[in-house]
Amino acid sequence: MNAVSHNLTAPSAGRYANLGVGPTLLPFDIGHADYMALSEPETAFWALVRKDQLAATLADGPLMRSYREKAADFARELHALRFELKPSAVYVNPTERCNLNCTYCYIPEGMRRSGQHMAADKLIAALERLKVYFGTVVPEGKKPRIIFHGAEPLMNRGALFAAIDAFKDDFVFGVQTNATLLDDEVIAFLADRQVSIGLSLDGPLAETTDATRLTFGGKSVHGKVLRAMDALRGYASWSVIATCTEKNLDQLVPLVDLFHAREVPTCMLNAVRCTLPGARTVRPDDEALARGFIAALERTHELFRQTGRKMVVANFANILLAILAPTARRLMCDISPCGGGRAFFALAPDGGMFPCSEFIGLDEFRGGNLFTDRIEDVLESPAFRTVTERNVDRIVPCKGCAIRHFCGSPCPAEAHEMNGGMERVGAFCGFYEEQTRYAFRLIADGKADDFLWDGWDAKEGGVESSFEFALP
Amino acid sequence: MPSREMKQSVENGLVIAAELAAGQADASAKPKVIATRKRCEADGVGLSHYILMDRKAGK
Ligand SMILES: C[S@@+](CC[C@H](N)C(=O)[O-])C[C@H]1O[C@@H](n2cnc3c(N)ncnc32)[C@H](O)[C@@H]1O
Ligand code: SF4
Ligand code: SF4
Repeated sequence: MNAVSHNLTAPSAGRYANLGVGPTLLPFDIGHADYMALSEPETAFWALVRKDQLAATLADGPLMRSYREKAADFARELHALRFELKPSAVYVNPTERCNLNCTYCYIPEGMRRSGQHMAADKLIAALERLKVYFGTVVPEGKKPRIIFHGAEPLMNRGALFAAIDAFKDDFVFGVQTNATLLDDEVIAFLADRQVSIGLSLDGPLAETTDATRLTFGGKSVHGKVLRAMDALRGYASWSVIATCTEKNLDQLVPLVDLFHAREVPTCMLNAVRCTLPGARTVRPDDEALARGFIAALERTHELFRQTGRKMVVANFANILLAILAPTARRLMCDISPCGGGRAFFALAPDGGMFPCSEFIGLDEFRGGNLFTDRIEDVLESPAFRTVTERNVDRIVPCKGCAIRHFCGSPCPAEAHEMNGGMERVGAFCGFYEEQTRYAFRLIADGKADDFLWDGWDAKEGGVESSFEFALP
Repeated sequence: MPSREMKQSVENGLVIAAELAAGQADASAKPKVIATRKRCEADGVGLSHYILMDRKAGK
């Protein structure tokens, strides 16, 4: 079935849903009392249809006629998003080392324990090469992004600071840190230069955080992270990531309370990625994860209604955006191919280039070296192409799934390491089903905006409406 | 709150508060069909290990 070309000279007139060249419109249950969803997966088009109207809507009615006019535009839009982006960010690991030994970390323990730092001059040389490359692909007036990541970037703070100062006019910078070394001096340096700061905390109480995040010596870091959060209060550009495992699912609601009370502007509640065996030891069950996650989202909504202050859960907001405005999505895991190796890539301290940080422990995914290879060639290397060509349209069961472009079947690293190959599904299919159904329920009830950033769809931000259909 | 639905959602093991709330309104007063889409310049470069959500930051 070819829903995109709608070739009216073909034997099929494309008039009927699910026949000939007509659009594929898959109905699915969203767990709502009044509405079902219809999805045309190829173009990520959807409609919420009152249950008593499903038959009439699937007949050649006004929705089908309006959609037919837009189908080719939507298909082009999705194709550009899936296949035509150029990199505009690099996740740079300035050190292999970390002072923590988190159960689930995707950086191998040996590297974190005794790995190498990148010398300051080498880091500066790396950013110089990246600057030259981005000059050829990033449009004028837009700055590429460098995110210092790891392992623990602040273990190599001298090099980090030198690099930020050397390139302050060339890149937008971010740092993701476990917060143990985030003292007042570091915060002042970063805040002064408007570097965005991400922290990590897994529980509302030390006992929960300690279940997954401890030093190599077994010491708690919970209190240090809370102190850093206090120091960051009021800063515009900070966030916290909680990794959801079987150890903290029942603590996600109080964790959201803690984040909101400390005025965290944005957080993520991420399902643990099961790429390495250590992570699989704390893998939550899909259904339990969905239950804990949705309860936490409901709590953010309650807090918003009580206080008027939103705390956006970015990974869920991204699912809503994938549905409401596919090109407005910010995170590139829930799209296929994912952003790894095409919208961004990762740089290891030895100059090794990987499609994404998630692959840094997997040497077969090293695509080349920044200091000796051309970036353009590395992006086309077999290692990168294995990731950038992983396509949800070829994965069983995803290729027939109505929500495949809201989910993307993440993550290739997990699929490869845990499930045996790039053509395999990722780790949390059931969880994606539930969060997508929940997202549609919110849209049906007119609540989606409560879970998104204020002004996310502002015209001044370049967002415009391309389809607006409500049948009273 | 309709107890049948409440019971069902507990059995399903899922929090379906939106469903329960929606069940109380008169269904026929709601739009028959809702479908929207917005677009903008694509600018997503985040991954799940870092929050990069501000569209303005890269401008
Ligand atoms: C690898 S750390 C690097 C930066 C810094 N050391 C930190 O802890 O924030 C980046 C983020 O990824 C998360 N992370 C690590 N391993 C993960 C996994 N297997 N699945 C999901 N998130 C993971 C960490 O908890 C942290 O929030
Ligand atoms: S899906 Fe996996 S490989 Fe792709 S961007 Fe996300 S974490 Fe990286
Ligand atoms: S992982 Fe599951 S929900 Fe996601 S696209 Fe595949 S089948 Fe659909």
